Amino acid sequence: MNAADAGGDSPPPGRRWRTGPLWLALQLVLSGSLLLLFVVPILALFASAPFHDLVSASRSADVRAALWLTFYSSGVAVLASVVFGIPMGYLLARRTFPGRSIVESLVALPVVVPHLLVGLGLFFLVIPGTPLYRFTQSIGFPVYDTIWGVVLVMVFVSAPYTVLASELSFRAVDNRVLEAARSLGAGSATVFLTVTFPLAMRGVVAGLLLSWARAVSEIGGLLVLAYAVYPGGPYNGPVSSTISVYIYNVFQNGNLGDAAAVSSLFLLIAFALFLLVRLGERSGWVPWRRGELTP
Amino acid sequence: MSHEWVVQGLEADLDHFHLGPVDLTLAPGNAVAVLGASGAGKTTLLRTLAGFLRLRRGQILRDGVDISGWLPEERNLGYVPQGLGLFPHRTVARNIRYPMEIRDRAGAEERTKELLEQFRLTPLANRYPSRLSGGEQQRVALARALAADPGLIVWDEPWQGLDVLARYELGLVLHELRQAERVPMVVVTHDPTLAFSIADSFLVLRTGQVREQCDAATLLRAPADPFAARFVGFENVFDPEALAKGPPGSLRAFLRERSGSEGVAFASPSLGPLPVGIVQWQGTVRSARPNPHGFTVEVLVDGLVISVRIPPPMAPPLPVLGDTVRFGIEPATVQPLGTSFT
Repeated sequence: MNAADAGGDSPPPGRRWRTGPLWLALQLVLSGSLLLLFVVPILALFASAPFHDLVSASRSADVRAALWLTFYSSGVAVLASVVFGIPMGYLLARRTFPGRSIVESLVALPVVVPHLLVGLGLFFLVIPGTPLYRFTQSIGFPVYDTIWGVVLVMVFVSAPYTVLASELSFRAVDNRVLEAARSLGAGSATVFLTVTFPLAMRGVVAGLLLSWARAVSEIGGLLVLAYAVYPGGPYNGPVSSTISVYIYNVFQNGNLGDAAAVSSLFLLIAFALFLLVRLGERSGWVPWRRGELTP
Repeated sequence: MSHEWVVQGLEADLDHFHLGPVDLTLAPGNAVAVLGASGAGKTTLLRTLAGFLRLRRGQILRDGVDISGWLPEERNLGYVPQGLGLFPHRTVARNIRYPMEIRDRAGAEERTKELLEQFRLTPLANRYPSRLSGGEQQRVALARALAADPGLIVWDEPWQGLDVLARYELGLVLHELRQAERVPMVVVTHDPTLAFSIADSFLVLRTGQVREQCDAATLLRAPADPFAARFVGFENVFDPEALAKGPPGSLRAFLRERSGSEGVAFASPSLGPLPVGIVQWQGTVRSARPNPHGFTVEVLVDGLVISVRIPPPMAPPLPVLGDTVRFGIEPATVQPLGTSFT
């Protein structure tokens, strides 16, 4: 070993690219390319939609109905993920039982199945004449071409993200922390509420956000099961559809400017919502990062 | 809260590991240190006491009442797991208040303040555990365990990851606590100095079996288990296989005559002028290096490597590699191992 090697002043010339500015440049170029792919189509969308088109789109009763329908149903779908998805994630993380890997595969199924098939499957279950059709009618939750159909499809495609994210987050909680809590006198339910859930919350919330995003962007299943949404249940507006189906229709009818305007409007709302959550995390205003930040 | 604890014939299974039978008696204010190599079953014993592993046989009696069927949260133990188990999402004060909070105990605020004060944590009350040093985290864990007013403190590796000063401080705190509050303790440790500073008795485990159970004086004078012998400073430990060959009059034969079923242990022999009548051995220095307790020389004699410590002040010249040195082993200091498990 000569003096230059031992000194470590400069890396051997052949390896300099791994540590020098080139390495950073490589990272910037690669991630920058991906970012461009994300941003450019969106910019194109905004470019094709002049501001006054956006304003008029936001004033249209049809667009408002579609927006309301989309946000309301996706909200209910996320609520269903909270009620059913989080407990399932907890169960998969904390318990061992025969056939658990089968259950885990089944949970991941909706993520990989083409969503048109999902709609079709549900369609065969609930079309008029089937027992399930009569049952859903009788309990006041008709599914075919109603807001409940929208919710059903959305839950199907979106809940797995909450289940999978919760499972990972619950599993990541240190078992010794939970044992300490129990030994200090907390029963299982108290430990869940005061320790397990607060520690897993950040991951669970990330899963819920993914679920919401997936629910809002759904179109395949809806084209089959709830192409047109008739008034009923919480929805009493005109016959409408979710925003994705609405935009698809406008586009099919050749109104490219309108399609761009409604898309842009929707993007603005969705982006604002995501930004709000991120800012909340940063400022410590939301509770799920406590302990990682100040003081 | 002072109780008398009696563990009778405790046995437990974890996967393919079997622990026990373990018998243990703890009067108010007593502390027992559990010793053993990694995988000996120390943590398994503590988790069984704490109620996280089911007993296969035996009883855990608190003041005569069998609590072995009770849930962990009903046992009222101050269990501090390895890694402490602090709540990362709660501040120091809220960690300490936790056991009182979940019981809706009146005066929780005042008691928290007292504990913060007692453990010198008041300036850190609003910090999160991730922002504390190792010693501070340890004090929080202890304060939190005491906030539950436990009947027994069960602590896995209290001194893990602490520097010398922090170890010393925590040792003092534990000692005071035992004196003042008379709370019995079961402590797992790898640290001899601190084990002796708080424990009245010792339990030595090996592969789930109790190898030795005695008070501090007995362990120091006559350890019966090879691990325990090393733990209390017998530098030279040999198993029967190492002593098997060796003609009469050799060092191996000398040790073999004094060996128990698990070999022998002896502390550092002395170099230099030896008392009359002590057999002398001669060997070659294989390594020589300083350490915190003086200077250690490894001498090769009759195929055995004997560790010889030269305590300070060390008179020059010190032996160097390849030197021939003479040393004597007092026969009475050679401890047979494995002969008795009291």
